[in-house]
Amino acid sequence: MKNRVWIIIFSAVLLICLGAWIFVTNFNFSTNIVGIYQDNRLVKTIDLNSVTEETEINLSSEKGNNTILVSNGHIRMKYADCPDKICVKHGDLTESGTPIICLPHKVIIQFENPNSDVDAVAGAE
Amino acid sequence: MKTKKLVFTAILTAFALIAFYIESAIPPVTPIYGVKLGLANVFTLFALYALNPYCAAGVLFIRIVLGSIFAGLGVAFIYSLVGGVASFTLMLLLKRFFKEDKIWVLSVLCAIVHNIAQLLTAVIIMESWQILYYLPVLIVSGIIAGAFTGICAQIVFVRLKKYIGKFNR
Ligand SMILES: [Zn+2]
Repeated sequence: MKNRVWIIIFSAVLLICLGAWIFVTNFNFSTNIVGIYQDNRLVKTIDLNSVTEETEINLSSEKGNNTILVSNGHIRMKYADCPDKICVKHGDLTESGTPIICLPHKVIIQFENPNSDVDAVAGAE
Repeated sequence: MKTKKLVFTAILTAFALIAFYIESAIPPVTPIYGVKLGLANVFTLFALYALNPYCAAGVLFIRIVLGSIFAGLGVAFIYSLVGGVASFTLMLLLKRFFKEDKIWVLSVLCAIVHNIAQLLTAVIIMESWQILYYLPVLIVSGIIAGAFTGICAQIVFVRLKKYIGKFNR
């Protein structure tokens, strides 16, 4: 195959992926229930809409420490002592799109199925 | 001749290690470590075309092991290794279809497979299918980075071909 053919193929794949990325980041979960996982265990489920006051959740393991900040409608990684700090830079978990992942500490914050059980509201404990 | 090849492999590994180390100082963009240039791959590709698969395997895997030790990246090592094994396997299988004017194509294909392998590793380790949302970004990154490193390897190989010929005789 000619170089030109490959360029066309790769450009097409590139465009499809950019389209898919736009779709993914605009996809709406229509849920406010967020699950926090550590080491593949569900640590906490929170309904973001029923959070009344700002609360910090500390997660510690032999891998390291993470601090999650929850407020009404928002959740983000406030602090982490992982080497890459990507989880902190991710910012808010937006209603659409990608989960907050701390790969080195195996922590993940993602939207849950709307039917899942919800823990006591953070802040009311 | 064997000694010459060994020395050449060692030099390429050293270069790859430097490239890998410099690049590891740049913080990754996505939680899955696929979005980066992968400059070290230039040397693996070059070794594959200029020397032989064994030398290329040496350049790749010694670089991954030493690079991970030097950079002190704990978890990143597993991901590097899985990505390395997946992309190198593809590289060996497809090399005969891509002559020296198509090194960049092989490089793009390997970069995409490298990133997909890392993503699947993350899905398995973290047990979350939502990680797959990063698939499009990782493919885009693979195409761009793979084309860049492939073109670098290709230019160097084509320019140095006549000198390398003496090596392999
Ligand atoms: Zn982190």
